[in-house]
Amino acid sequence: MRKRTFKRCLTGFWWFTLVFLYLPLAVVVLFSFNASNSAATFTGISLRWYGRLMGNEEILSAFANSMILAITSSVIALGIGCRIGYGMYRHRHRKLGWLIVLIYLPIVLPDIVFGISEMAFFVQIHRLTGLLQPGLGTMIIAHVTFQIPFVALIVYSRFVGLDPTLFEAAKDLYATPIKRVVHFMLPTIKPALISAFFLSFTLSVDDFVISFFTAGPESATLPIYIWGAIKKGVSPEINAIATLMIGAVAIAAVISLVFSRRRQA
Amino acid sequence: MNRASENREGTPMSDPITAEAIEPPAEPSAGQAEPGETARQAASIEMKGLHKRFGRDTVALDGVDLTIEAGEFFTLLGPSGCGKTTLLRILAGLEEADDGRLAIGGKDITEVPPHRRSVNTVFQSYALFPHLSVRENLAFGLKMRGMLPGERDARVAKIAEFIKLGDLVDRPVDQLSGGQRQRIALARALVNEPDVLLLDEPLSALDAGLRSQLQVELLRVQKRLGMTFVFVTHDQQEAMVMSDRIAVLNGGVIQQVGPPREVYEHPVNAFVARFMGHDNLYPVTARQGARLTTPLGELTTEDAGEGSLLLIRPETLDLLPGEVAGDNHLPATVSERLYRGSHAEYRLEIGSSTLQATLNNRGRHLPEVGDRVTVSVAPEDLVTLSE
Amino acid sequence: MAYTGVTPSARSRGMVREARHLLLTVAPGATWIVIFLVLPSAYLMGVAFMTNGPYGLPEMPLSLESFRRLAGFGFLGWSPGNLYTLLRSLWQTLVSTGLVVIVAYPIAYYISTCRARWRPIMLLLVVVPSWTNQVIRTFGWMNLLAPGTPLSNLAEGLGFIAPNMGLYPSNFAVTLGLVYNFLPFMVLPLYAAFEKLDTAQVEAAQDLFASPVRAFWHAVFPQTLPGLLAGIVLVAIPAFGMYVIPELLGGGKGMMLGNLVANQFAGGANWPLGAAGAILMLIATFIGLFAMRRIGKRLGGGEEVVI
Repeated sequence: MRKRTFKRCLTGFWWFTLVFLYLPLAVVVLFSFNASNSAATFTGISLRWYGRLMGNEEILSAFANSMILAITSSVIALGIGCRIGYGMYRHRHRKLGWLIVLIYLPIVLPDIVFGISEMAFFVQIHRLTGLLQPGLGTMIIAHVTFQIPFVALIVYSRFVGLDPTLFEAAKDLYATPIKRVVHFMLPTIKPALISAFFLSFTLSVDDFVISFFTAGPESATLPIYIWGAIKKGVSPEINAIATLMIGAVAIAAVISLVFSRRRQA
Repeated sequence: MNRASENREGTPMSDPITAEAIEPPAEPSAGQAEPGETARQAASIEMKGLHKRFGRDTVALDGVDLTIEAGEFFTLLGPSGCGKTTLLRILAGLEEADDGRLAIGGKDITEVPPHRRSVNTVFQSYALFPHLSVRENLAFGLKMRGMLPGERDARVAKIAEFIKLGDLVDRPVDQLSGGQRQRIALARALVNEPDVLLLDEPLSALDAGLRSQLQVELLRVQKRLGMTFVFVTHDQQEAMVMSDRIAVLNGGVIQQVGPPREVYEHPVNAFVARFMGHDNLYPVTARQGARLTTPLGELTTEDAGEGSLLLIRPETLDLLPGEVAGDNHLPATVSERLYRGSHAEYRLEIGSSTLQATLNNRGRHLPEVGDRVTVSVAPEDLVTLSE
Repeated sequence: MAYTGVTPSARSRGMVREARHLLLTVAPGATWIVIFLVLPSAYLMGVAFMTNGPYGLPEMPLSLESFRRLAGFGFLGWSPGNLYTLLRSLWQTLVSTGLVVIVAYPIAYYISTCRARWRPIMLLLVVVPSWTNQVIRTFGWMNLLAPGTPLSNLAEGLGFIAPNMGLYPSNFAVTLGLVYNFLPFMVLPLYAAFEKLDTAQVEAAQDLFASPVRAFWHAVFPQTLPGLLAGIVLVAIPAFGMYVIPELLGGGKGMMLGNLVANQFAGGANWPLGAAGAILMLIATFIGLFAMRRIGKRLGGGEEVVI
């Protein structure tokens, strides 16, 4: 009897927590369709905020910046990170403590320390040499830096899950070092590469703090634009652009769910 | 398993010459190229002074000199850590010897990397590529050597026919059983028509029934192709069934090389004798010509060697009821009997020593536990060996 | 007769080849991280020991001035502002981590008791909100807590806040935002611990201790401790350095260390002071990681808690 009451309480708490988790997002979505300017009262359904987005040059360029940044940095991080992942795997029997520290450093460093140290460094380098002008370039460098560890760890764990004699079988079956990479290693870790790319992409789009400190005047991304708009004063337009981003995440969530289901089946 | 291999399940396995007893399979279908033509490629292997150490103190190979003849089924036998797998890996090129030379088919290949050696391996874990289909797995080596797709397909089809893979070729790798994987791993190595085929305990992951079935199949393949096979195992039964010759290794040193009968019946030292399954080993305390003094009593041997240990094989003993006087007759008491149907295994007490004996069940009297018996052994069956 | 012959050539050739391979695969990434993260962090630490120059940029000579400033000693004498910010950061970290544990523990347990086919979906439901951008999530709370919203009106009616003030900006809003932000970080490791829970132990405990509370305390809680500690580190370290949430929900009186640091750079006010604050955050980070390693090793019997 007591057990059932306990279980019922837990179920109630679970639904309460779900409401807590989704309420802020729901509010953003709801008010993006609000007919009036008010952030407190809902007066009717309208799409006018979405209409405004389309004509807003700043938002369109922020969107373009976000995409360029996410794609470029993910591709570079993939190229660098999968090499480290393989190196860590191949030499896993050695003591690689220093490498592990390096790999985990970008993950454990607080965002704000990460962001300001890069900013301070870039500014000084720029002052001294004229290189590394704050802008998309510096942002790409910063993003690659925090994406590398995730790519490396995903690729590493894929390699660890393989039968080590596969590498020897490839050698034994006449594959030269280059052919081993092209015909054995890359095809075998393809799933890991795909998921590492999407994770890097998501991390990049999601990031605000590091982008904020490494950005230049012309290179605002969507989160930076939204930040600025919020600081200037809440505008219902933000609800619209935020809703689009929430929609993208929701689609990604559904895709991930479908894929995990399929893998189980 | 397909039908053809099922038919072979009943083939007698106990005789080491089973290989010759297996008839060649039915006529190959018309127009099909004979895979046996690869026999021309069979190559000999020469190893001289191979040394290998791991880390600072682990000696894997301590000076191995060995010649394997072309077309031989050669087995490296020994306990784990004896160096047999290291030796095989050096043959494959997956490991580099610290010192010594290696030649295959008369060509020195000591420094040739694995992908340029005409040697292929069947790995213990089979190592089938999970990202490829069975067909692509089979064609992998040919593709890496730059063979054109048309020719590749023909070769794959030929080997699939030869190993009788049937519809396995079109299945995904992850839906294959252990035995099926084993045969595909074998086909993937053979399709390259290597000079030498290396097999690293290829049957150890299979259950006993499937194992003996595949032993027969493997032998048949080797005899038909006439290819040089180097086989690694820790199972002395398997080694005796399969091999033309066996090398017994211990501590990175070859203890004995010879045909199965020689290694089993005339082991050169106590290690080889124990590893081949012998328990009846007794110190020779004194020797006068053919007369040996042992803890069991006085025995006459025809062995001319100067060995300090006497080996008595259980199956050479005869048990006579009661006490019968005579040369090479020892009085004993039966302390244990394991009845196995075709034969019975005995444990006998002679003084403070024990002796194992095996009697074939040919309808004769089988002594019971507690019986007083006389053990009789022929002088030509007594072998001495060194410590 | 061990082999003692001297032919080190093959061995050393192999070792050189392996070392070169390690270098070729690892070097580009390692160099990248060294140049673009280790060097900048080292530079930042150096800045903390320099003097504040014009436009907030660091200058020689070396000094401990910025640490004095961080402790509140300015040219106008001592003021408690910075110290308050530090204490507030610590307090907010403690309170929000505590609240996250209180919410996440039953949730993780509940998920682990549900049917296996539902569990991945439930976990996904917990995680999905954290996939949206932090700025947007915090903006959602701004909308919810603003003056005139139902929540604010409710709080006003109950007398918690003054009329027309709204629930934000306030320290309460910051705590709420932190709990919201970090909840998934705690649920995931705790769930992993509950999933591995040895139920035989729990049943034995119920047999022996009879009372459910004591059974929980002796059999369940110790088994979930590694997950709990991992969660605490995952929450507390980033919470201590949080920037976005106090900036948007806290207002001037809700500032935390992250804002203090960021303001020294964003406004170009005082780099050495900001760098000194960053060093505090780094110290906190490494204490957290070190503590987790130590405790994790002792609890897991050598099995390390994976970050």
